[in-house]
Amino acid sequence: MTPTFKPEIKELHALNQDNDLFTFELPLVNKIKIGNHEYTIELREDDVYGVHVMWKKRRYPVDIVRVKQNRYEILFNDISYTFTIETPFSLERKKVLSKNTGKNDKLIIRAPMPGKIVEVPVREGSEVKNGEPVIVLEAMKMQNEILSSVNGTVLKIAVKAGQNVMKDDVLAEVTVKE
Amino acid sequence: MDINSKNFRSYLERDEALKQQYNSDRANKQHSKGKLTAYERISLLYDEGTFEEIDAFVTPADQGIEFGKVEKSFGDGVIVGHGKIDGRLVFVYAQDFTIMGGSLGTVHARKIGKIQEMALKMGAPIIALIDSGGARIQEGIASLSGYATIFSNIIQSSGIIPQISVIMGPAAGGAVYSPALTDWVFMTSHTSYMFVTGPNVVKEVLNEDVSSEELGGAEIHARKSGVAHMIYEDEENTIIALRKFLTYLPSNNVENPPVTVYDNSTPDINEKLREIVPDDPNKAYDVREVINLVIDRNSFFETSDLYAQNIITGFARLKGKTIGIVANQPKVLAGVLDIDSSIKGARFIRFCDAFNIPLLTFEDVPGFLPGMDQEHSGIIRNGAKLLFAYSEATVPRITVILRKAYGGAYIVMNSKGLGGDFNFAWPSAEIAVMGPDGAVAILYRRELAESPDPVALKKELVKTYREKVANPFIADEKGYIDEVIDPAVTRKKLISAFEALNNKWVKVPSRKHANMPL
Amino acid sequence: MPTCLYNQDFMKVSTIKRILIANRGEIAVRIMRTAHVMGIECVAIRTDSEPAAMYLDHADLIFNLSEETSEIPVFLDVDRLIEIAVTTGCDALHPGYGFLAENAYFAQKCIENKINFIGPSPDAIYKMGNKTVARRIALANGVPMAMGSPGNISDEEEALKHAAKIGYPVIIKAASGGGGRGMRIVRHPDEMEKMFNLASREAEKAFNDPSVFIEKYIENPKHIEFQILGDKDGNVIHLGERECSIQRKHQKLLEEAPSSALDQELRTKMGDIAVTIAKAVGYYSAGTVEFLLDSDKNFYFMEMNTRIQVEHPVTEEITGVDLIEQQIRVARGEALSMKQEDVRLTGWAIECRINAEDVQAGFAPAPGKIEKLSFPEYDFIRVETGVRNGSSIAANFDSMIAKLIVTGKTRSEAIINTKKALDKVWIKGTKTTLPFFRMLVRNKKFHSGDFTTAFIEKDLEQFHRNSEYEELIAAWLATKLFADENLQNKNGSVDFEQGKEMNPWLLNKRINRF
Repeated sequence: MTPTFKPEIKELHALNQDNDLFTFELPLVNKIKIGNHEYTIELREDDVYGVHVMWKKRRYPVDIVRVKQNRYEILFNDISYTFTIETPFSLERKKVLSKNTGKNDKLIIRAPMPGKIVEVPVREGSEVKNGEPVIVLEAMKMQNEILSSVNGTVLKIAVKAGQNVMKDDVLAEVTVKE
Repeated sequence: MDINSKNFRSYLERDEALKQQYNSDRANKQHSKGKLTAYERISLLYDEGTFEEIDAFVTPADQGIEFGKVEKSFGDGVIVGHGKIDGRLVFVYAQDFTIMGGSLGTVHARKIGKIQEMALKMGAPIIALIDSGGARIQEGIASLSGYATIFSNIIQSSGIIPQISVIMGPAAGGAVYSPALTDWVFMTSHTSYMFVTGPNVVKEVLNEDVSSEELGGAEIHARKSGVAHMIYEDEENTIIALRKFLTYLPSNNVENPPVTVYDNSTPDINEKLREIVPDDPNKAYDVREVINLVIDRNSFFETSDLYAQNIITGFARLKGKTIGIVANQPKVLAGVLDIDSSIKGARFIRFCDAFNIPLLTFEDVPGFLPGMDQEHSGIIRNGAKLLFAYSEATVPRITVILRKAYGGAYIVMNSKGLGGDFNFAWPSAEIAVMGPDGAVAILYRRELAESPDPVALKKELVKTYREKVANPFIADEKGYIDEVIDPAVTRKKLISAFEALNNKWVKVPSRKHANMPL
Repeated sequence: MPTCLYNQDFMKVSTIKRILIANRGEIAVRIMRTAHVMGIECVAIRTDSEPAAMYLDHADLIFNLSEETSEIPVFLDVDRLIEIAVTTGCDALHPGYGFLAENAYFAQKCIENKINFIGPSPDAIYKMGNKTVARRIALANGVPMAMGSPGNISDEEEALKHAAKIGYPVIIKAASGGGGRGMRIVRHPDEMEKMFNLASREAEKAFNDPSVFIEKYIENPKHIEFQILGDKDGNVIHLGERECSIQRKHQKLLEEAPSSALDQELRTKMGDIAVTIAKAVGYYSAGTVEFLLDSDKNFYFMEMNTRIQVEHPVTEEITGVDLIEQQIRVARGEALSMKQEDVRLTGWAIECRINAEDVQAGFAPAPGKIEKLSFPEYDFIRVETGVRNGSSIAANFDSMIAKLIVTGKTRSEAIINTKKALDKVWIKGTKTTLPFFRMLVRNKKFHSGDFTTAFIEKDLEQFHRNSEYEELIAAWLATKLFADENLQNKNGSVDFEQGKEMNPWLLNKRINRF
């Protein structure tokens, strides 16, 4: 007889970028509790307003900006929020991992091919997010954005606009901030 | 049999003992590292109540152990069995790191071999949840032989049933080849790694200090080596994604891929497609925008998304039916083909071909990446892999040329001559031996040198070249393109094209296997 | 550039039948609206970047730029624009703001080609366009200014010399342009060399002219500007001031008319000076004189903008004057129909510039497509926009979505009305600066009127806060999406059996292959 060990997921947590936790019990209901009151929330769509939320008799615009795995960026009432949705176990795991790591990594950004630097949209000290352009390089007659693959701060810009670079030349360094 | 009888009671006692073995202490050991236990992973993977384990009580043999001690545990550190995922039979083996570090001993290996054979006999997919320290040192060569059998089984089944490895812990030394031999490798970040030689040996031999994460963590394998096709932040998301991934694949190489319920929400005709490719040929765009408007909503599952990003591969659905997509990505490296992207594309195409998944190619490629680096590293050999994979594939193959299609790269990307079944082009397509600037510079070298205003002359010539030579209507009129289509109707055209190709079958010459350039 | 001689007779043309709108977006719409009321036809230019733009719908004739790939965008291409004007039979041209609106050469070329340039004379544009020339004129006319170098500075040595005379802090400014570029504040002589070089290089990159001059830097001033209107007979009046201190990195975000910092006496004083400067260059058409007002109510002339400005509607709302109409009348040679004493400022107006920018990412441009756009229909609202449902905010033009202009009898009423209006603006499809304005109109300092140009930069943090339950709702939504996608048993949606369905022809071939 097979032991069943399914980690019962009784609740889900939405973790925002400041590490605040919003917990919701499963199964998820269309009601949100604030203080002693419960209010109904409804997701609707129509031709005039597009996708929107009905809450306390008011209409709010809502958009899903980006979804990647369990990371959701939601634009609600014109303000953007980013959450990762965690099960109780993945939350535990995050705690365990953050204890173990914590070393300050450095991301070295190199030229993926020879070309000319067209633009440097960031400065030393700028904050960058994963996926944001750090250098714009022109090669093969096209402009390529060289993106940061981490969240962090630009430590050093090793090139300037107009400069020619070879493949693997160091373009910039970013200190990782997770 | 009386449930109070001795036999039945022994049966229940043994069950108790198994439960005891998998007590919370063991679970906590895994949890404290941020990992799930093997059983927990299996319960997440399979539909509720469908998992049937076999060989749960197998214990390591009493062999002459000369060195060290072997723990006598039930199962010998691996859980094997079958169950249903979304209602479909799938086999699995999940290594248990808490028992002897999940290391592979003879019995452990035998269990795995057994389930592999069963999967092959039943024509069902097999998943390996890997969390192992590697070969069991105590059992010496028997362990290594165990690996050899596993590898051999994988190769026997290769191309017959889908085989997926999920790295959820260490996978080092010889152990690392079994994922490499399987079709797909999923990996969980931060808590798993793969390398042939570990940091300790690297330190000893090369005196280099390197951590497990730096040597073979998930990020490295997803971005640099291309060994890991999909990586996820944590184990639950890995398994959720794996379940989703499986819904695209058939159970074996004779079946067609499954069909999903199709929700009609993607319009067959969409004018937004006309706006994606910029008029300026030097401006980049994200080809994913094209993909997302053409396929069923939300049905794109991208594979190897962090590796060789100048080419995009992944599964999608058209009217509920799985297709494989290969697309040049103009946003990265101008969409050129290079060694990494050629290999990425070739491997994907061959998997689709093995498992009856039709191929859709979106082409916007200015050529191959030039330079000594590429040439010396063998772009010739590796570019040939992509060409070979396309031409060898007998599944339906459709190409849509979005913009540039120059020279050798045009031929490689599933051109008509290579056996493309339907080749469409958008009006923005530019099909030529080389781009206008290069062509003009060569053909009119003298005129440009002698001209009083070479800049204006070049502009004139480039314009003429675009109109007279590179435009898709010429290719259309000569039959190298089947039809120049309005971007807005791309989805509609593709659906009817794939429907026409539903029963495509091509006879291949009988031979042991082709000699693909490697 | 020497003083241009213009044809005196040409200046007194009595009719304008067709205007070429050398601009796009909301200002093109704005100009065409008034032109049509006046019975004048308009020609607009369709570019490839926005072939379906809203402003094109308001034109009587559209000039299509064919498949030409030009180095210069058309709205910056002097020759092309004139060619288009001539080809389409236009007798006048309105440059709007930005692009070539303050290009004296362009204005001159228009006149030479018998196209009535709806704006000031090329000479006035040139004189006020060059900051050092403008300063010289101001100085000669007794206009109070921040003490500064008499001309351009050629190197750090000179800069240090002048700075010592003026007294730190000083600001290095570009002679040929503004908008924050080529500007550097120097608080200490040690910084001078570095800042001088940075400013000069930036000025060269932005305006093709590395010339810079030095001025006393006035800490935390208010930015007050006066609307000028002049005719070709030499009459010049002012239409009151605008309060433009709500800026971020020298970009205006919100403007008001009038300013709570001015009483009638100060208004008259500053207004008269503004008129003086305008008259000194023979200014006609609409223009704006910018001042800095320090905490002691001293004012200093900064520069004059020789064009219609983005924020002109707030002046229109409190004076009842249609500035575009006045521009066209002046261009036709008509004399101003009002005198200074006829100008009355009634009520209060506030304008919010709603842009497609990501406030949380430092106002980074957020190009995208406007899916839904709607404004409430209160009578105290006026909306100027060049986009509608389905419009794309392209990365190569500006990020403006709309100008929301709200009026009230008093400043507090205007603020309350703005709050009401902002809460009902509905924009979907891209990130906008709406949340910023919603917080701004609730901000105490903003209510007090006691803010300077340093306000936004310093206190920007507080504009990110929102009502707590909104984040909770967003979290709930994200969780719901995740749960629906991943936790539900979607057994019914995948059909493995269908995959096994195959016609015998195919099945036979597949099996017998092995």
